[in-house]
Amino acid sequence: MAASSVIDIKGLSKIYGSGSKATVALDKLTLQVQPGEIFGYLGPNGAGKTTTIRVLLDLIRPSNGSASIFGLDARQQSVEIHQRIGFLPGELSLWQGRSGAQVIHYIASVRGDIKSVVKQAEELAARLKLDISKKVRDLSSGNKRKLGLVIAMMHSPDLLILDEPTNGLDPLVQQTFHELMNEFRDKGKTVFLSSHVLSEVQAICNRVGILRDGDLKAVQSVEALTDVKFRWVHVQFRDGVPAEVAQGLRNLPAVSEFNADGSHARMRLQGDFDPLLRTIAAGYVEQLHVEEPTLEDIFLAYYSGEGAGA
Amino acid sequence: MTGAVFIEIFKQTWKQMLAWGIGLAALAMLVVLMVPLFDMQDMKSLLESFPPFILAMIGVGRDLEVFATNEGFVAIGFFGKSALIFAVYPVVMGMRITAEEEDNGIMDVLLSLPVSRAQVLVEKFLAYCVSIFGVVALIYLGVGIGDSLGNVGLDVGRLTEVTFYLIPLMIFVMAATMLVAAVARRRMVALGVITAFVVASFSLQTIGLAAEGTVAEPLGTVSFFSYYNAGDILREGFIWPHIAGYVALSLVMLAVSLYRYERRDVGV
Repeated sequence: MAASSVIDIKGLSKIYGSGSKATVALDKLTLQVQPGEIFGYLGPNGAGKTTTIRVLLDLIRPSNGSASIFGLDARQQSVEIHQRIGFLPGELSLWQGRSGAQVIHYIASVRGDIKSVVKQAEELAARLKLDISKKVRDLSSGNKRKLGLVIAMMHSPDLLILDEPTNGLDPLVQQTFHELMNEFRDKGKTVFLSSHVLSEVQAICNRVGILRDGDLKAVQSVEALTDVKFRWVHVQFRDGVPAEVAQGLRNLPAVSEFNADGSHARMRLQGDFDPLLRTIAAGYVEQLHVEEPTLEDIFLAYYSGEGAGA
Repeated sequence: MTGAVFIEIFKQTWKQMLAWGIGLAALAMLVVLMVPLFDMQDMKSLLESFPPFILAMIGVGRDLEVFATNEGFVAIGFFGKSALIFAVYPVVMGMRITAEEEDNGIMDVLLSLPVSRAQVLVEKFLAYCVSIFGVVALIYLGVGIGDSLGNVGLDVGRLTEVTFYLIPLMIFVMAATMLVAAVARRRMVALGVITAFVVASFSLQTIGLAAEGTVAEPLGTVSFFSYYNAGDILREGFIWPHIAGYVALSLVMLAVSLYRYERRDVGV
């Protein structure tokens, strides 16, 4: 349903430089983000996440393809689009000699409707425990980030574009950030956030796109992405890992990446538990712990080419 | 909202405008206060013994008659000789139109707002034009205060045109800086290019004056400083074709900057 998508990217490529020095930052990227979802855009540094965001904001121009937001062309109608979006850059720079309140007032004045925007900004700042009377140069990196979030959200945009939003935020503020995002989504608004913090994406996103070397590897719901067929199993034996148990586990087709260290064994299980349980029963098991794969595991699986469910 | 960038830039700049204006006004005042210390006829006799190229090097050139008056001493001794100093302020301001904020990443925030690139450039350009006017007005005030304090008896009115003629010159330098930054992208590259341009222009003007009557004389006409000649302005008042030249070239450079900045990647 591309027509109703909030973000619609078609065949987008971005090449920096030319000739032998050409670098492909994005390669024929096609992606849609639907209204009311929080879309996580995952990838390591240099994958092309920020390049995608900068194209969406018309800060850079694509080499090929197109991008639209709210059905408007990201390049030709950028001013109309920017009226309805909030943006937090990955590396936020603001006017060092101005106070948080002055920066807010400036940006509110560019947006128009100063009074209500500033009021909303003050509420957000209070919620994030940010002192906006301080000059930007006196703010810690975490507080600058909070100010960036306030600026991005203070005009109640329909779409938030956030580049690594929780970088530098302490865990308590991260929690507040998650609450803000969920409230934002509950109002039917949309968030497009790039991150390499997978637990954050797991906690708040509906869908995730995985980007690598400018190439979109997969787009899935977080549930589908985490619905994989393997588990990590940890077994603690009282008298060390018995040799016959270790050998038996190694021989099980469902077990891989087996590691034994003293009395502790760790393995990856892909399949039923029963053969594993029968094998370890030959030893005295003190503890058995089953660990769900983290998104990091899935992430690594994608990057190693295995894909989810491997 | 239209005008928001203009107002904010002015808020961010007025202190620097005051600092530059007061500094240059103090310098102007000092030169005015020095006038009674010289006997202009003695000075004229002394300078007449100098070869033309020396006169050119010290900024007097062919304006010996004008220089030997109180107003001429101020016009040529301060406004003529300090032209290079007057070029520094518009270079600093011109760098702020795009290069500085692009280099430090602030432009990303600004251009994510509902404002076009053209609007940002034009509003900033106009705000810095106002600050140039403020600096020049303070210099004029400095001349007037110096005259009153020292009882110099200058005809300050004759210096009005010399002073306010600085505005088109400084706007021209700022427009050139903006153009270089719009093309070069990187702050340090833009700063290097514009500094070289200003210094080369000043050198060409000096060479042109020093080499009067030789094949090197036309070199001076290439320099934009040649169209701000304090002695000529004192004699003839505003030289409108020169002012029109500064304004027209500034507008052309503004237009080319807009064209270039609209079409390129920002912050790359």
